[in-house]
Amino acid sequence: MEKSAGYITKNKIHKSAGDIVLKIFAVGFIGFIALICLYPLLMVLSGSLSDNFAISQRGFSVIPKTYSIEELKDGLEPSVGISTDTYKYLFIEPESRRNILVSYGVTVGITVIGTLGAMIVTSMISFALSIKDLKYRNAISFFCNFTIIFSAGLIPWYIVCRNWYHLGDTYAALILPSMFSVWNMFLLRTYFSSVPPSLYESAKLDGANWYQIWWKIALPLNKTAMLTVGMMYTLAYWNEWWNALMFIDDRKKRPLQFILYNVMAKITAVSSGKVPRGANLVLPTETMKMAVTIITIGPIIFLYPFVQKYFVDGVMTGAVKE
Amino acid sequence: MKEFKKNHQLYIMCIPAILFLIAFSYIPLAGIWMAFTHFNPVDGVFGSPFVGLRWFKAFFGIANDSGAQFNGMGLKAVYNTLFINFFGLIFGTIIPIMIAICFNEVKNKPFKKITQSAMFFPYFLSWIVVGVIVKAFFDDKTGMVNSLLRSLDIETIKWYATPKYWKAIVIVADIWKWCGYNSIIYLAAMSAFDASLYEAATVDGANRFQSIIYITVPLLKPTVIILTLMSIGRIFYGDFGMIYGIVGNNSLLYDEVAVIDTYVYSAMKSLGYGYTTAIGLMQSVLGLILVTVANHFAKKVNEGEGLF
Repeated sequence: MEKSAGYITKNKIHKSAGDIVLKIFAVGFIGFIALICLYPLLMVLSGSLSDNFAISQRGFSVIPKTYSIEELKDGLEPSVGISTDTYKYLFIEPESRRNILVSYGVTVGITVIGTLGAMIVTSMISFALSIKDLKYRNAISFFCNFTIIFSAGLIPWYIVCRNWYHLGDTYAALILPSMFSVWNMFLLRTYFSSVPPSLYESAKLDGANWYQIWWKIALPLNKTAMLTVGMMYTLAYWNEWWNALMFIDDRKKRPLQFILYNVMAKITAVSSGKVPRGANLVLPTETMKMAVTIITIGPIIFLYPFVQKYFVDGVMTGAVKE
Repeated sequence: MKEFKKNHQLYIMCIPAILFLIAFSYIPLAGIWMAFTHFNPVDGVFGSPFVGLRWFKAFFGIANDSGAQFNGMGLKAVYNTLFINFFGLIFGTIIPIMIAICFNEVKNKPFKKITQSAMFFPYFLSWIVVGVIVKAFFDDKTGMVNSLLRSLDIETIKWYATPKYWKAIVIVADIWKWCGYNSIIYLAAMSAFDASLYEAATVDGANRFQSIIYITVPLLKPTVIILTLMSIGRIFYGDFGMIYGIVGNNSLLYDEVAVIDTYVYSAMKSLGYGYTTAIGLMQSVLGLILVTVANHFAKKVNEGEGLF
């Protein structure tokens, strides 16, 4: 750096101008990326609240559109407005209503059971492997690690699950294969490792066994970590469709995401088009996908503001420690 | 024995997880045998006739005893996988780093909160939902992109019938879904940087831009190298969910974006379990080699600590 007095003043002016440009760029860039990330969601929401005919005429946009009777008669542009016809259709037409409610039940069921089970399984082994004087902890870690770096591949896994474990068309097929994630185990172990061993020691002197230490000390001390990993499992189960694609043929056992996938492939997958007499609804071919999407991600949108902060904290701390 | 007596409760706590790994990771390893047999369900994994390296030869087009059905699509899938992963890796590194750096320059708290929430949101969506969004953008008739083209009086494009665009679309979707999540990892790394370095630079008359170029970027290097090495270790693995969620089984686009994983799935019924197991095996072996090599280099940059 040059150090002459004149240069410094010049540099200061230059600096503040440069910093302002940088700041404007930073705000612009972040705003732009945030908009790109949020925009499609708004479009899906607006699509689901639009009139099907308006969409098929004018295409998707971020503002919901409907036709009034006059506009339809005179062939005018659709106006801004909200139409709940698509949702009405989905919940009035008997087949689509049954499909959606059943798959909602399936998804909620596998998410609750799967997440609870996965948290117990994962937190137990993470806790055990975080105890430094467990002699074979490295051997067990390697046993876990090896499954990440080498796997049999899809086909052997599929054959074993189908022909040996008979997971075809069972709820177990949607729950068991995803119940233990080695990645989540390592994330959780990093957190458990940061608990000072003296805490456990004093509990042991008070006569506590390892199960009690795990349940009463380790878990409550790592609430953020448990919440983060719990969210990851919840998300994995809520977004589950891969195991369904592999193992589920029975229409009554399809999770939500799989219903959505089927709607994407064929609009009639969710509805037969048989509407009760007098309901006066047509099959909303364009807006239906959007409405099913919103129904699918509804709980995520609802919970997102509450969990997002913890999740960011959890991922950040985990990333720093790794 | 003494060790077990002392810590048996801890070992018992490991058992459920170990059982899951045995059931869903280790026992399937036995199924690798199928790669060397002409599998049929009646005789099972170990009863089916042995065919040696037949499927491996078929994959590389050396011996075409089964006719023209192995038409080199396997190699095409390998190419697609590498192509999509390579560009996904490059842009999927640069953009999150840019986000993290810019994010650090912004001081307005509410703005940061809102934008971070927005950027993180795609991470929560399944690939199926991403597929719906892609469709809403690129649908021939009702898609937003074509609406935009129409309003600009440019000829519209039948996206879902034009394969050449889809590698790019898939890569963009991949970056879109992960950019918020990945930027958090870089933000985490940056939060650990020594603040006195920046103060010293300011005292020396460096502006913010210079601080970024000469302090932030060099300090980010180890993180970038580690994450890149991890991605290289997995470069032969395609994202099944992404491809299947976005393109589905659209036969027009299939050849263009089929990755090894989706190829194995779609060929499973038509070309047989033996052939597809062989492909999966090659993928796993290559993956193992690459991860080992990557780990070796990671140890060098990371003071002796590897990826695993």
